[in-house]
Amino acid sequence: MTQKIGVIGIGHAKFGKRKDATIRELAHEAVKPALEDAGITTTDIDAAVIGVAGDEFAAQGSSGALIHDYIGMKNKPMFRVEAACATGSAGIRAAWSLIKAGLAETVLVVGAETMTQVGSPKATELMAKAGDTRWEYPFGITFPGFYALMATAHMHEYGTTREQLSMVSVKNHKYGVLNPYAHLQREVSLEEAVKSLTICHPLNLYDCCLISDGAAAVILANEEKAKKLCDTPVWITGLGSASDTMMISERQTLTSLTATRLAAEKAYRMARVSPDDIDVAVVHDCFTIAEIMAYEDLGFCKKGEGGKFIEEGQSYIGGERPVNMDGGLKAKGHPLGATGVSMTVEITRQLRGEANKRQVSGAEIGLSHNVGETGQYCFVHIYAR
Amino acid sequence: MKFGYVSWLPQTELVSKFIEELKNKRLMGTQCKQCAAKYLPPRAHCKCGSHEMEWFEAPKTGKILTYTLVTFGPESMAKYAPYIIAVAELDDGSRLLAHITGVTPKTLKVDMRVQVVSHHVTEDRIVYKFRPTE
Ligand SMILES: [Zn+2]
Repeated sequence: MTQKIGVIGIGHAKFGKRKDATIRELAHEAVKPALEDAGITTTDIDAAVIGVAGDEFAAQGSSGALIHDYIGMKNKPMFRVEAACATGSAGIRAAWSLIKAGLAETVLVVGAETMTQVGSPKATELMAKAGDTRWEYPFGITFPGFYALMATAHMHEYGTTREQLSMVSVKNHKYGVLNPYAHLQREVSLEEAVKSLTICHPLNLYDCCLISDGAAAVILANEEKAKKLCDTPVWITGLGSASDTMMISERQTLTSLTATRLAAEKAYRMARVSPDDIDVAVVHDCFTIAEIMAYEDLGFCKKGEGGKFIEEGQSYIGGERPVNMDGGLKAKGHPLGATGVSMTVEITRQLRGEANKRQVSGAEIGLSHNVGETGQYCFVHIYAR
Repeated sequence: MKFGYVSWLPQTELVSKFIEELKNKRLMGTQCKQCAAKYLPPRAHCKCGSHEMEWFEAPKTGKILTYTLVTFGPESMAKYAPYIIAVAELDDGSRLLAHITGVTPKTLKVDMRVQVVSHHVTEDRIVYKFRPTE
C-alpha cells in the first residue's frame, strides 16, 4: 500500500508591515507554533525546505541557510526553492516529494519574505524584473500591469464589470477581518473599492494585493509518522503543477491562465475528485481579476462566468464554493515566499474545523491554488481530512 | 544603441542586428529552419532546440488585443509615467507588447487597428511602439 502524506503541524506569523522583525525572526514566529502544534521538536524533523522568492527584498543572500540555522536545524538536510509568488507551494510540493521518495519521514516547510523595507516603488521595480528582462521589462510593464492587461481582455471578452472586480475585494476584506494573522483587518465597501486610486487601469488600489512581510510553516509527515504524532492529520491527496511562457505576448489566451487549468486537471485526477467536491478553497488573488479567472480555470464555474460567480455570492461562506476565507492575498497580504505555505495552513485549519468565525462548516475536502508571476508557475494541492 | 526605455542586459549579436533593422524602420523576427516556428521579438534559439534560425520581416500593422494605463510604474520608469502599454496581434499572427501613443484611454479600444513604428526614446535608446493607423 502506498503511504499517504499529511500535514501534522502548522504555524503562521502575523503578516503586515513588520518593522519589529527581520526575516529570521518572522521564520521563528511561524516555526515555533508549527512544532508545538505537531507536539515535536526540531530533533524529530528529518529535513527542511525553505521558500524565499527574492534575496533583494531582505538584502540577504542565501536566506534559506540563514533561516535553517536560525530555527535550530543545523546539520540537517535543507534546500531552498523559488517559484516567484508560488514559492511556498513549490516548497510543499518539494517536501511531499522528499517524503514520497523515502529520503525523509518528516519535513518542515518554511516560507518567508520581508518586502516592506524597500518601499513600494522599489518593490514594484523588483517584481517587474521578474518579467522578461529583454523584451517586456524594458517597456516598464509592472506586475499589476500584466494583470491589468488580462483584466481589460476579460472585461472585453466576457463583459466582466468594474463592480464585479471590486466585489472580490469586498469579500476578501470581509474575511480578512476574521483572520488574526491578516495584514489588513478592515472591511471595505463596494463604493470605496470601486472608486479607489487607479494603479494600472482598469485595476485600482483595492484590486491589488498588499506588499507585506510574513512567514508561515508547515510540517509534513508520511502516513505512519503522521498517525503516530497527530490525531487530526490533513492528507495531501492531489498535487498538480504546470507552467507557461515567460512573455505574456506569447500566450495563446489573455483571459485564462493555462498553467492553472493544467495544474488543476492533474490535481483533481490524482485526488480522484472534481471541482464540485471542493468544500473550501484558497486561490491566488494577487489581483481581483486573478481570483475571477481562478474560479473559471479551476472549474468552479464556466469560462467567462467568474464575474457572475462573485456577484451571486457563490464564493462566500454559504455559497456554492467558499473561497479565500483567510482574506486572500488581498487582505491577508502576500509576502511572496510565505503565501503558498500560508495557503496550506489555512486549508488545514478549515479541514480540522479550527477556523473559528470563518469556518466553512463540515469542510472535508480543500484546495489551494498558487500562481507564480503571471502564470509562469502554478501549483494546485488538494487536501482531505 | 540600446533597446528599451530601461535595460541593462549585455547586447548580443541578435539584439544588435534587431536594433539596426529597427533604426531602418524594419521589424525583424527569427524563424526556425527546422520546425518553422516564428519568433517576434527574435530569439537566437528555437524552443524545439534548434539554433538554425533565419531572419524574417514582420508586418507592421495589426490590432490591439488588450491594454493598460500604467499610472504607477517601476522606480526606473518614473519619468515616463503615466504610459499606456498594449499587446497587439500583427497581421501574421505574431504578438507584441509595447507602448501605444496617439490615443487616450478613452479613445483606445480592443480591436483598434494599429501600426508598429520605431521610436527613439533618447539618443542612444530605441523601441518599437504602436500608433493608431490612418
Ligand atoms: Zn524549431
